[in-house]
Amino acid sequence: MSDVIAGVGALLDPTVLLCLIIGTLLGTLVGAVPGITATMAVALATGFTLTLEPIQGLAVLLSIYVAAQFGDRVPAILVNTPGTPASIATTFDGFPLAKAGRAGVALTSSALVSAVGSLASILILVFLAQPIARIALSFGPIELFALVVFGMTMMVGVSNGRIAKGLAAGAVGLLLGAVGRDPITGDHRFTFGLPELTSGLPFIAVIIGVFGLAEIFNQIIEARRGGTASPIEQLGRWWPDRAERRTLVKPTAIGTGIGAVVGVVPAAGGDIAGIIAWDQARRASQHPERFGKGSLEGLAAPDSASTATMGGSVTTTLALGVPGDSVMAVMLGSMIVWGLQPGPSLFVENPDLVFSISGIMIVATLAALGLALVRMQGVVKLLKLPLNALAVVIITFCMVGTYAVQNSVFDVIVMLVFGIVGLGMKRWGFPAGPLVLGLILGPLAESNLRRGLLIDGPFAAFQSPIAASLIALSVFALIAPAVLRTLKRRSKPRADAAAPR
Amino acid sequence: MSRFRTATIGLTAAAAAAVLLTGCVDRAGADTAPDAFPTGDITFYTPTQAGGATDLTARTLATALESELGVSVIVDNRPGGAGSVGMEHVAGQAADGHTIAVLPVEVAMLGHLDYDTDPADYDFLAQVNSQPGTIAVPADSPYETLGDLVAAAEAAPGTITISNAGAGSIWEAGALELGSAAGVEFQGVPFDGGAPAVTAAVGGQVDAVVAGIGETAPAHEDGRLRVLAVFTEEPAPALDGVPTATEQGFDVVIGSWAVVAAPVGLDAAVRSTLEDALQVAAESAAYIEFIESSGNIPLFLGAEETTAFVSAEHERFGTLLAGR
Repeated sequence: MSDVIAGVGALLDPTVLLCLIIGTLLGTLVGAVPGITATMAVALATGFTLTLEPIQGLAVLLSIYVAAQFGDRVPAILVNTPGTPASIATTFDGFPLAKAGRAGVALTSSALVSAVGSLASILILVFLAQPIARIALSFGPIELFALVVFGMTMMVGVSNGRIAKGLAAGAVGLLLGAVGRDPITGDHRFTFGLPELTSGLPFIAVIIGVFGLAEIFNQIIEARRGGTASPIEQLGRWWPDRAERRTLVKPTAIGTGIGAVVGVVPAAGGDIAGIIAWDQARRASQHPERFGKGSLEGLAAPDSASTATMGGSVTTTLALGVPGDSVMAVMLGSMIVWGLQPGPSLFVENPDLVFSISGIMIVATLAALGLALVRMQGVVKLLKLPLNALAVVIITFCMVGTYAVQNSVFDVIVMLVFGIVGLGMKRWGFPAGPLVLGLILGPLAESNLRRGLLIDGPFAAFQSPIAASLIALSVFALIAPAVLRTLKRRSKPRADAAAPR
Repeated sequence: MSRFRTATIGLTAAAAAAVLLTGCVDRAGADTAPDAFPTGDITFYTPTQAGGATDLTARTLATALESELGVSVIVDNRPGGAGSVGMEHVAGQAADGHTIAVLPVEVAMLGHLDYDTDPADYDFLAQVNSQPGTIAVPADSPYETLGDLVAAAEAAPGTITISNAGAGSIWEAGALELGSAAGVEFQGVPFDGGAPAVTAAVGGQVDAVVAGIGETAPAHEDGRLRVLAVFTEEPAPALDGVPTATEQGFDVVIGSWAVVAAPVGLDAAVRSTLEDALQVAAESAAYIEFIESSGNIPLFLGAEETTAFVSAEHERFGTLLAGR
């Protein structure tokens, strides 16, 4: 109990609170700019925070980490561009909601469920850190491979009925993921002598291109043909009504649960959690047909899942000294320099630190939620701009954000090329989601499978109980809907035949 | 309509400001008399992402260089292609002393791995640290000494798995060097960076890991890993009581390092100004403390010795990596 008092007491220092506020503002801002990820922002801030006291430094870094998860939802919902990869799945239903004139409810609901996911996962950190962290160590390469395969099964779900086109886009994404150095032998594949391509296609540039730039290009074409001038003419109500709030409960619970588990797994973060949660919530929903077309449930699941990974990631990092995601990998370096060596001994030597960290994250969550709700008034003004002004601003931010990732003009060119590719896909009805999933998950699946094969031989995936059950789940996820559909068709053939696609 | 206009102007200004901010790394100085070096800001490139060890090395040195040279020293990250993108960018800059870079060990390796990187493209100014290699096993591993591990590999060639930081990384080379010194075959398992490679050993997925001392020493201290040997000539201060590989009969001395370099063709006077400033920076208390806190060894070697060192390493990696 005295540890709790000491840990939380350390936060009452006014300079710590100031650090928290600065971190929250910075995090919200960088989250909202596509291209600048939480990892980058934390990495850049590290240069300044190393000279601060550990608690002050942690307050800055952790609140950037938390607040970026709130900021990145805004461009995902309003302009179909994820602010950071953690909100890729937010675009699936967030943008359709905004187009349907429900941006206000979408933004508010997103902020609320994000806060729920974050707070729930921090509680897990406080009470169950050590026992849960032990699960993390049983995830080796082959288990990670199985988890990624499970994530890939949702390519079908995200295709929105256009399964053939969705799978084609996914296959192209997997092929694009093969560009770069071979993860085991180091041979250069499809790099055409360009050193920039040896580390693979820059996936943040691809995401911004196919989601954000393509959407703007499409709107410009629509506008010239006399279609709607502005993408989102109205934001609608702000607060979800009672019925809407009720629909949020189940997907948020699913999302939080999935996020907490994925967060614990080393190196798996908010993007994978959001994608898995979206698909699982769709399967559990009474209205799966609305997913991808503007479903509040489809927004709540990934948003709560990606924030719920934070508690798990921090748990793994603190209890095992193993980074739970890429942000934590950067933060781990800082903690070592401060003399706070994460690992089992941290809980013995600095038990109060765990409570200070949870305290910082709770305050940062509430501050980011408050900021998200207040900030929306400004967002209204942004969207009332005429398209010609708005498009220029968004394209500029897309280019600046892409360049800033690695100070590279090459990345900007990649983004522009994929903007045109994305436009073509949009016009001919190919969904962009599976392409990006293939690009992100493909290299993860390949490298981990090949490591697993090197370590355990050809039957690796079936010898590990965790990997075997995840693969069985993936097969089930693919087959079950088809079986169910056949059964349903037999019982009422007419209704199904009449259903439009 | 006027409100839209205000908002438009405001947003355009914000976008313009963002463009300016990303562009502000451009050097402001002008080239006048060559004897009056430095005449403007110095750009200090790192071929890595912000936040990593190489980046923080550059940032810590930059602070000391600024007060020594009296101009701004701006750190510019150019990551990508295992560092080759940044290195090739630096090689193409003017050799006027206003462009310098921290280059990690990859500068001597990438040329042997199908990249166009060549140490001959740079004038080396100083070596500023060394990061000893180590080999470690999980805490509950049956192998107590390096001899045990080698004996197990002798009994069943190719079954003892050793994780490393990636294909073509210095730590993959470290495991190869150990294999050839001991005359046995290990199964290397490349990961995507040092941290996941160490995690695989902590979790017991592999038999051992070769990694930098900064990554294994903390885990050794709290009992998650057992470091069997340090690949240095003298025992490392960060791992008290752990023997070197040489002491156990395997002649393996390998590690990562960082040097500061400029594009080739530097004026001799400019070179010695930079070398002197780097000596002060590398011997500053802040820099020594930063390097030591991560378990590595701060040091300073001058331009001549560094050039000889890098070319010796370049040659050595040529033979070692040919055997991959």
